[in-house]
Amino acid sequence: MVSEESERLQALRQEVRTWLRENLPEGWGTPAYVPPPRGTAEGQAAGKEWSKKLYDAGYTGFTVPKEYGGIERPREEQAVIREEMARTGTPPGAATLGYLAVAALMRYGTEEQKKRWIPKIMTNEECWCECFSEPNAGSDLANIQKTGVRDGDEWVVNGQSVWTSSSKFADWGIVPVRTDVNAPRHRNLSFFVFDCTTPGFSVKPLRQMTGDAEFSETFFDDVRIPHGNMIGAEGQGWYVAMTVLEAERGGGMRIGEAAAGITVTTLGGVDNFVELAKNTKRRDMVAWDDPLFRQRIAQFAIENEAIRASTQRMRVKAMKGQLTGHEQSITSTYRREKNQRQANMVAEMIGASIQYMRGDPRALDDGSWTYTFLRSRGNTIETGTTEINRGIIAERLLGLPRTRM
Amino acid sequence: MAIEFGLNEEQEMLKTMARDFLANECPMSRVRELMEDETGFSADLWKKMAEVGWLGLVLPEEYGGAGMNFRDLTILLDEMGRQVFPSPFISTLLYVGMPILAFGTDEQKNDILPKICSGEAVCTMAALEDDGDWWADSIKVRADRRGDNYVINGTKLFVPDAKSADYMLIAARTKRTEDPEEGITLFLLDTREVWGMLATPLKTMDETRKLYEVTFMNVPIPEKNILGELHQGWPIMKYIELHTTAALCAEMVGAGERAFEMTVEYLKERVAFGVVIGSFQALQHRAADLAIGLEYSRSLMEWAAENIKEGHPDTATSVAMAKSFCGDTCKKVVAEGIQMHGGIGFTWDHDMHLYFKRVWVDDNAFGDSIYQRELVAKALDEIHQLSGYGRWRRMPGVTGAVGQGMM
Repeated sequence: MVSEESERLQALRQEVRTWLRENLPEGWGTPAYVPPPRGTAEGQAAGKEWSKKLYDAGYTGFTVPKEYGGIERPREEQAVIREEMARTGTPPGAATLGYLAVAALMRYGTEEQKKRWIPKIMTNEECWCECFSEPNAGSDLANIQKTGVRDGDEWVVNGQSVWTSSSKFADWGIVPVRTDVNAPRHRNLSFFVFDCTTPGFSVKPLRQMTGDAEFSETFFDDVRIPHGNMIGAEGQGWYVAMTVLEAERGGGMRIGEAAAGITVTTLGGVDNFVELAKNTKRRDMVAWDDPLFRQRIAQFAIENEAIRASTQRMRVKAMKGQLTGHEQSITSTYRREKNQRQANMVAEMIGASIQYMRGDPRALDDGSWTYTFLRSRGNTIETGTTEINRGIIAERLLGLPRTRM
Repeated sequence: MAIEFGLNEEQEMLKTMARDFLANECPMSRVRELMEDETGFSADLWKKMAEVGWLGLVLPEEYGGAGMNFRDLTILLDEMGRQVFPSPFISTLLYVGMPILAFGTDEQKNDILPKICSGEAVCTMAALEDDGDWWADSIKVRADRRGDNYVINGTKLFVPDAKSADYMLIAARTKRTEDPEEGITLFLLDTREVWGMLATPLKTMDETRKLYEVTFMNVPIPEKNILGELHQGWPIMKYIELHTTAALCAEMVGAGERAFEMTVEYLKERVAFGVVIGSFQALQHRAADLAIGLEYSRSLMEWAAENIKEGHPDTATSVAMAKSFCGDTCKKVVAEGIQMHGGIGFTWDHDMHLYFKRVWVDDNAFGDSIYQRELVAKALDEIHQLSGYGRWRRMPGVTGAVGQGMM
């Protein structure tokens, strides 16, 4: 079942390769390259510029119809572009969270809503944030406490979110709100798009264990949202939110696209590990000569290959309509845990040096290994804990009964 | 080159046919009968396998084969693994049939291959010795020239199906040099008319696969029975190693998937504390981990088989990756299979131990997960030096299993 790639696709592959070589930041792909810190204005601007470059080159926005600003391409062309981008560990764009709104809008939005918001997500002119998690509603998202009360043509929203990404720079946000306090679970939420400049909406940076503030806490204090901004019907918010989460867990529509955030660190690493191991002495032994580390590094190469092969397999299954959509929980769980295991290995390998943070002159590769090590703790929590994903695999893919709590 | 996974129409048919055939001709009750049998070989079953074209599946039509490819073969092995199928299929086709096709003289091909396809010839290989390793310097059994013949002396171990085999490929040392890979010669022995060969059954764990000790006492073999060149048997053994390793991956994945299906079925029906045990999170999450492992095992196994079929330059590495991963995963699947079944899973009468034993034996053959991972590490080292650190990702030339895997 091997087919020689057609001339058209080969030409496209060459084009993308050349484009990436010319457009990726200098030093990209080596530990020497230090990305602008996440969550800063500088990082945001760089990401926005990069996203726009990709869009202008025609390398993103495949899943959206042309009328909404998308770039329609045949699947095999998308595959080539994504492969080439993944090969270089192409950096993520700042406004990638817009794709979450797109997922909700494409499925539940009215024609007017789609036309109003999607095109500017595609061009990255407007940035979005996602106000989902609350202090008491993380994995148990249905426990959202934010309330919305109808007042004429508006809804008045009160409550708090945590772990809101990109909110400092967002123009728009998406938020599920409890609009019917008496309705049963899963029937009591409605889903809104809101303007982040609305009075009563405020943002407080949430400092994470890396020291950065990539996320925020956001507060809704009598925030008035027009009824026309409701996505889907009243009481349908849980299902709209689920669509967003499916997209976020690396659904079929964006393999290798918005997942780039993790792709950078997961797929880019093995040759870097070999280099690092060859330059790391543990007592009188070079780490690369130590079977304990050789075995672990080789295992990561195997796992990367496994993920790549499985992604291809799923792509074929998707084309035949044989995917349920829940398969993404397999990839999501495995990839995130692997990222964490990789970071652990590096920390164990380089010993005391792992203590140096960015900015210390003794830090290896400007502290990027330490940063990745600390940041990876969040990988298995964000976008739904890996435990939630294991539950999805068990229930939805294996058909096991609902968990006994 | 873009590889597409999934099965084409012909392959779907092969799969369905294989599953039906095995269910009808060799249900688990028959597997158990063959386990009890001294040779574990059924001439009747073998004849039926010949009739449906399995024995010459990858041999050319001119010898009576079906002319299919290696990927097709793994579909069959996958199904055989699901059924812990006892038969000299791997011994005959992978140890002897395919190497004869690749390295044999016209005379050898014309003599043996039609007999394999028709089911007349059961074959096997005597390679391993007392350390059980498929390594060049482990081969000590000697073949010495005497007139126009060679005579073989020494003892081989772990020889599958030795009592049912009509032909046996023997790896013997014909020359001792500093390089252990030099001086190995492969001889094809017709066991039906031989004196001085004694096959004694070994008492081993996986009774669905019969293994023997084979002792040769001045066994004469004519020079024309050498496969390939004198002293140059090792590259042929590497060929056999590569293909059989990939074949075992398919068998392990089949066995692992079936064992897992049985386990999930059990989780759905076994009741404890008033509920089915599959509703316990402690079991659900472990089952999810096995499902994850099997997804990646199958992906790597199919990818390796496609690489072999296409003769891809990175084939050896992708086979090592698959063997390492499939071994690790499937060993875990069968161990958890027993654990999740509880007491019943530990009994002789339950089939889970058959899967457990088959998978562990397969993992061990041709180097276990740890050994395979070291092969991958060596490949990584080569790539690292070849590409030049920090530049490889910009190099359009870095392709193939490892290069792409590292992306």
